[in-house]
Amino acid sequence: MNAPTPARGSGGSIYDLGYQGYTGPRLGRRSAVLALFFQTLRACYGIGRGGRAKIPPFALAGLSILPAIVAVGFASLAKQAGGGALGDISPIRYESYHGLVSTLIMFFCAAQAPELFGRDQRYGVLPLYFTRVLTRVDYALARMSGLIAALLIVEITPYVVLFLGRVLVAADPVTGLTDELGQVPHFVLQGILVAGLLGGLASLVAAWTPRRAYATAAIIAVFIIPPIIVGIIGTQTSLDLAREIVLFSPADVLDGTNAALFGSVSDNAVVSAVDLPAWAYVTAAAVGLVASIVLTIRRYLRIAA
Amino acid sequence: MSLIALRNLTKRYARGVIALDGLTLDLEPGIIGLVGANGAGKSTLLKILLGLLEPTSGEATVMDLDVRNQGTTIRQFVGYMPEYDCLPPDTSATDFVTEMARMSGLPRAAARERTAEVLRHVGLYEERYRAIGGYSTGMKQRVKLAQALVHGPRLLLLDEPTNGLDPAGRDEMLALVRRTGTEFGIAVIVASHLLGEIERVCDFLVAIDAGHLLRAAPLVSFTERTGVLAVEVEEGADALSAALVAHGLQAVADGRTVLLAVNEDRQYDLVRDAIAELGLPLVRLEQRRQSLEDLFRDAVPPGSPMPEMPHPPEPPHAPEPPPAPVAGGAPQ
Repeated sequence: MNAPTPARGSGGSIYDLGYQGYTGPRLGRRSAVLALFFQTLRACYGIGRGGRAKIPPFALAGLSILPAIVAVGFASLAKQAGGGALGDISPIRYESYHGLVSTLIMFFCAAQAPELFGRDQRYGVLPLYFTRVLTRVDYALARMSGLIAALLIVEITPYVVLFLGRVLVAADPVTGLTDELGQVPHFVLQGILVAGLLGGLASLVAAWTPRRAYATAAIIAVFIIPPIIVGIIGTQTSLDLAREIVLFSPADVLDGTNAALFGSVSDNAVVSAVDLPAWAYVTAAAVGLVASIVLTIRRYLRIAA
Repeated sequence: MSLIALRNLTKRYARGVIALDGLTLDLEPGIIGLVGANGAGKSTLLKILLGLLEPTSGEATVMDLDVRNQGTTIRQFVGYMPEYDCLPPDTSATDFVTEMARMSGLPRAAARERTAEVLRHVGLYEERYRAIGGYSTGMKQRVKLAQALVHGPRLLLLDEPTNGLDPAGRDEMLALVRRTGTEFGIAVIVASHLLGEIERVCDFLVAIDAGHLLRAAPLVSFTERTGVLAVEVEEGADALSAALVAHGLQAVADGRTVLLAVNEDRQYDLVRDAIAELGLPLVRLEQRRQSLEDLFRDAVPPGSPMPEMPHPPEPPHAPEPPPAPVAGGAPQ
């Protein structure tokens, strides 16, 4: 139906062509989905919006990298001062990093997800998307994966800084590299689980809550309230009951995957006390992600446009 | 090529509301007006054509493509301007329209180029770099039209394009719609409950009411001359009508206007002479056309009048019976 013949030559000097029909290429659905994905990714960092929209995402991303930079800085200072052991006793390590930044990731979700999912609903933009080549499912998936990708960048960058810093600070960079390389799959997987589960749940909540302030509050509640309940149950009443419900608390699940992946003891009292196997946490995170994808798609299939 | 073909198209909403009831219609490219009162089913029909809504039963094709399973292909070549607000306030018109072009599958460079072109076409210049939140209603309507045009559609579906505009804004928007349809060869369907506007823009008209097709025909056949001449005088309308009746014409006075049935030139002379003899201050002589709302007055049950159009004075003789609904037909 479409003849992809470029209509415009170059070097002409026609000043008013009037309106011309578009005869160029139409790349179709895949291109539209990719465009929406990248638009979402950029929107997560406020790119293409005003300057004020950039403050929360960049502030949170900056704060999440800060500990890694501090750790690397101290390690290199310690090395110059001849105290090579300082790097090893630093509290900022791969296995402890999740505890340092998980709250920041949560705030990132709470700040950006309502903007991504609520805006198009509040201002009636959805019909314009759905009357183009995207389907409703495409829209939901592109928006969700855009948010998850943005979170993944915030989540993984500090680990990468830590990794590079430790390699370069090591007495011999080559041995340093071989020593550190083993940690890469662990923090990559942990990063994917954190970004996937938190991003998925934040998308789900934001898609169902078009009002921005409510969505922000609801996202924070989903991440903060369950660990409190689980914590109270675990310490005050029954550890058995806590073992049953801890997998329904996203924040605790991610503490669990962190401990499991890095083989460390979690500083989350309940998670270390219930002593669930590693696969339970990883499975819970994966199930949570899949469920939030399915329910978000459902929302967009039913929403009136 | 058939632009749109509907076969027995029915849409029933969840709570038993029937928005479209067995609509059968064939349309060929042109500027097509879709008229009907609020709730007649106009927006529902547009949404079915776009694949936003699934029809309950019946068939619908757009450019020979089935709306049920070829929606993505259809939407590549269709532009849609919704009735309600659909613009995010914190984005500039340029960014937003470019984004929409990308969503239609245009490459990045082409999307930018097309955006500049359509924004100029709809008359947005320097302000296109400012956030849409600060735009007037008229500018917002232009952006809505621009996003519908940006991907170079072959069919444009406009739902109440003059919504919320002042009279000057309406005129500009209608001129823009007309120009888009005629100069650029894009088929346009304009849904509106304002019959007067449709009359100015379209060359083919589809009238629906309560989900039924009332009539589909070229606009000229809707507004044929009724053979009614309106004579407006400053004073003495009653004397004039008495004089004309005395000459054997059918005439009635209605306020300052005398309405009379005319079917030959000689009668115009009689009117002229009668006015001259009585020495009446003549304001105007006007051929009354069968207006669009006559169509509805006959078709719509009492109690659901078209609210936007005041009814003109009743002609002195019974209006011609409305032509039976035509289930086919095309402009030209």
